[in-house]
Amino acid sequence: MKVLNTRLITPRLCGLLLLIALPLVSLLGLMTGPVFIPLADILSISLSGDGGNSQEKLIIEIIRLPRVILSLLVGALLATCGALLQGLFRNPLADPALIGVSAGASVGASIVIVFGSMFTAGGLLLGLSAISVGAFAGAIIASVIIFRLATGPQGTSVATMLLAGIAISALAGAATNTLSYLADNDMLRRISLWQMGNLQGASWDRVGLCALTAAFLAVLIPREAGALNAMLLGESEARHLGVNVEWLKRRLIIYSALGVAISVAVAGVIAFVGLMVPHVIRLLVGPDHRALLPLSALAGAILLVAADALARVVITPAELPVGVVTALLGAPFFLWLLVVQRRRT
Amino acid sequence: MLKIDSVGLTVSAVPLLDNISIDCPRGSVTALMGPNGAGKTSLLKVISGEHKASQGRVEINRQSREEWKPADIAQFMAVLPQSSTLEFAFTSEEVVALGRTPHATGTVRDAEIITAALAKVDASYLAQRSFVQLSGGEKQRVQLARVLAQIWDHFEYEGEYEGEHEGDAPTDGILLLDEPSAAFDLAHQLMLIDIVQQISARGVTVVMVMHDLNLAAKCADQMVFMNCGHCTAVGTVTELLTPELIKKVFSVDAEVITHPVQGTPMVVV
Repeated sequence: MKVLNTRLITPRLCGLLLLIALPLVSLLGLMTGPVFIPLADILSISLSGDGGNSQEKLIIEIIRLPRVILSLLVGALLATCGALLQGLFRNPLADPALIGVSAGASVGASIVIVFGSMFTAGGLLLGLSAISVGAFAGAIIASVIIFRLATGPQGTSVATMLLAGIAISALAGAATNTLSYLADNDMLRRISLWQMGNLQGASWDRVGLCALTAAFLAVLIPREAGALNAMLLGESEARHLGVNVEWLKRRLIIYSALGVAISVAVAGVIAFVGLMVPHVIRLLVGPDHRALLPLSALAGAILLVAADALARVVITPAELPVGVVTALLGAPFFLWLLVVQRRRT
Repeated sequence: MLKIDSVGLTVSAVPLLDNISIDCPRGSVTALMGPNGAGKTSLLKVISGEHKASQGRVEINRQSREEWKPADIAQFMAVLPQSSTLEFAFTSEEVVALGRTPHATGTVRDAEIITAALAKVDASYLAQRSFVQLSGGEKQRVQLARVLAQIWDHFEYEGEYEGEHEGDAPTDGILLLDEPSAAFDLAHQLMLIDIVQQISARGVTVVMVMHDLNLAAKCADQMVFMNCGHCTAVGTVTELLTPELIKKVFSVDAEVITHPVQGTPMVVV
């Protein structure tokens, strides 16, 4: 006889803990970096508008604050989209990379880096560099191709989507490799750094763009929680529970492609946040999407701010790409997950 | 309530159903029976709307199946599939709660229904257990509680039913069951029969795929023998349970005797 299913904490307690952790981790993110800024100075700068010294004030206003907010938003977007896709694929191991967004974004970014001279005339668009625009376009194109491949007269098959996602990702990987081969040393370095993800390019424009996307998704995604729960039973079961499954699948794919594409455009490929965060939340409070989605957003935000703070201090004065930090944390976790799941079945 | 009118189904050039016509009045229990691959599940899927009939039509409450919106039909029709794969660790209670997805009856009423539905299928003790850790029979009982919770308001109403004629009340329930008892032990097979009789007496129309002839004989108002996508015979239990028909449909030599106490026909092989 197996033991009773005891969830570790209630959703309410989990939400409370995360809401307490969020400002603390954010403050930590503001404090850490090549120049350490004490808590007292941060408080006086934020409360009175002056205090501290002018250098610290500049660092906070121009560098750290947008960077922390961008990390919060990107982390929240990635984790929420991961939760959406795991619900859509009914597989707790699904990841935003599955719909080809990351691979497509890599091709887009690499094209811009390698053939960049052609794009520089365009300048910045909404605070995004040409590389970000390329990444966003690549991400959207890849996910549209995969979605079209998986959609036939019978509707969208998530199984086909999975396979198409793998194939398109492989194809995109080959394209990125070809571009890397053509690239000179400087381009090569930029391509590989971009693929590791980093939040160095944080600016208020990017924060605005991300905040807009996050706000848009924050209005739309919670409405799908009930239907996503029904989807976990199976597509036909969800249909019998009154869910219009085909439209739901479309909406979920659009939301997650948009969320992940924006994140990739502003911060490069950041691995494992979308996989790891919803999974941990599910272990803590169970799979109910009404709790899972908001809690994943909070936890994803906290995780990315913490990972980014870590990335800034590990090898000061240089900094690690944040994607490396999340992967260093994420890969062992993923392996542990596989082992545990194997033992369970 | 439910009318299947010369329904045919062809999937990728393979004919699965041919010219099936069955009439299921309000509150009737119909048992679909036949050997493996006879088309029982396919027929159930045409009724539930998963497959679109290639020929003929299915009518639910005097309205063609295709005209029903998923959200509307889910208000009164529930479907229990043969098996379910749920990879996520919902508790049993949460699985049953999913049955309330189509309704907006409020959390208090829903909680009452969930508790009562679990009790009805003898699964109250499973409420807080993780669904993925349950045995096959326990899972199927929880899923049964889920579909009962979905149409709960259609048989657990206060007082007497008011509508007299079929189709008068759009709120009559329909329950489709695909081999509901396959994973059940003897006591729970009888529990299922009991539940089917109770809810059909209160107006719910039940269509179920079954393999156990004797179990079906206990509660079916009409039996449908299917073979190779055809409807071989439709009739009452006594009409259909004959050695000749059983030989024809199932290729099995069987004796039909009378139950010593209940007087119903019994198949002995």
